[in-house]
Amino acid sequence: MKVSVGDQIPQWVMEHVSAARMRTMAAVLRDPNPVHWDPKLVAQLGFGERTINQGPLGLSYMINMLHEWTGPTSIRRIVMRFPQVILDGDKVIARGEVTAVREEGDERLADCRIWLHREGTEPPLEGTATVALPSG
Amino acid sequence: MASKSPPTREAIQRLVGHEFPGGEYTIAHWENFLLTECTGGEPLPDGLAHPVALFHMPILGAGTSIGEMFALGEAESDFSIGIESYDWEIFGPLKEEVRYKISGKITEADRKETPERTFDRIQFQFDLTDPDGSHVARTTITWHYRRNLS
Repeated sequence: MKVSVGDQIPQWVMEHVSAARMRTMAAVLRDPNPVHWDPKLVAQLGFGERTINQGPLGLSYMINMLHEWTGPTSIRRIVMRFPQVILDGDKVIARGEVTAVREEGDERLADCRIWLHREGTEPPLEGTATVALPSG
Repeated sequence: MASKSPPTREAIQRLVGHEFPGGEYTIAHWENFLLTECTGGEPLPDGLAHPVALFHMPILGAGTSIGEMFALGEAESDFSIGIESYDWEIFGPLKEEVRYKISGKITEADRKETPERTFDRIQFQFDLTDPDGSHVARTTITWHYRRNLS
């Protein structure tokens, strides 16, 4: 796989962040925080009657982007920060660009800047990832 | 969760070194299926688990819970927790139906004060090894526990 510094990673789109998926996620995670399933409580925080996406779910959109780009066992490290919340109904797009290509052991690695794009706001998630590049 | 008085800075600092009991965790097929569906992604091949499991499986496998992690830092409410970062290092593929050994501890804890706000920054670190003893992943969770000290 030919990859160079400055290459854009093919984007991955979540058209509609789903409150139902947040509820499923809360159950699987045993996450008691009502911000993920009680819109009336979230309204008291000033976000309207919506629910707040779990941080790991936002992170998973970045993982899906990387998997589609370099394969399902390619991720070596992912570091995410969460400057803003994501709410149900949001459309978000995972994006990234290559910042370095290097060799480590038997692997060719790409370091990337990654972020989640949401129209009209600063990126709600941003961070870095390192992936192993497929040979060939 | 009811509001309460904030802990002292010293009480927060004493959390460093706290170790969870440790234990094991197996990602069931149904669990991986549901998690993957939540991400909007396609199921992964060859029994691979979606890495999004690296949030909850270390926590539960180490013998703790999100609720206990809130309580350890004496969160003032469920709304008072903010995420600083998640750092996931993946050394080997994560798979369904494999019993991983998991250990976890608090590696950093201190009070931070800025002109805008006061919060306690607590960092949790978890390590996963597979049945052969290979280190499969390390996850580091850093949360902010916002304080209302006025």
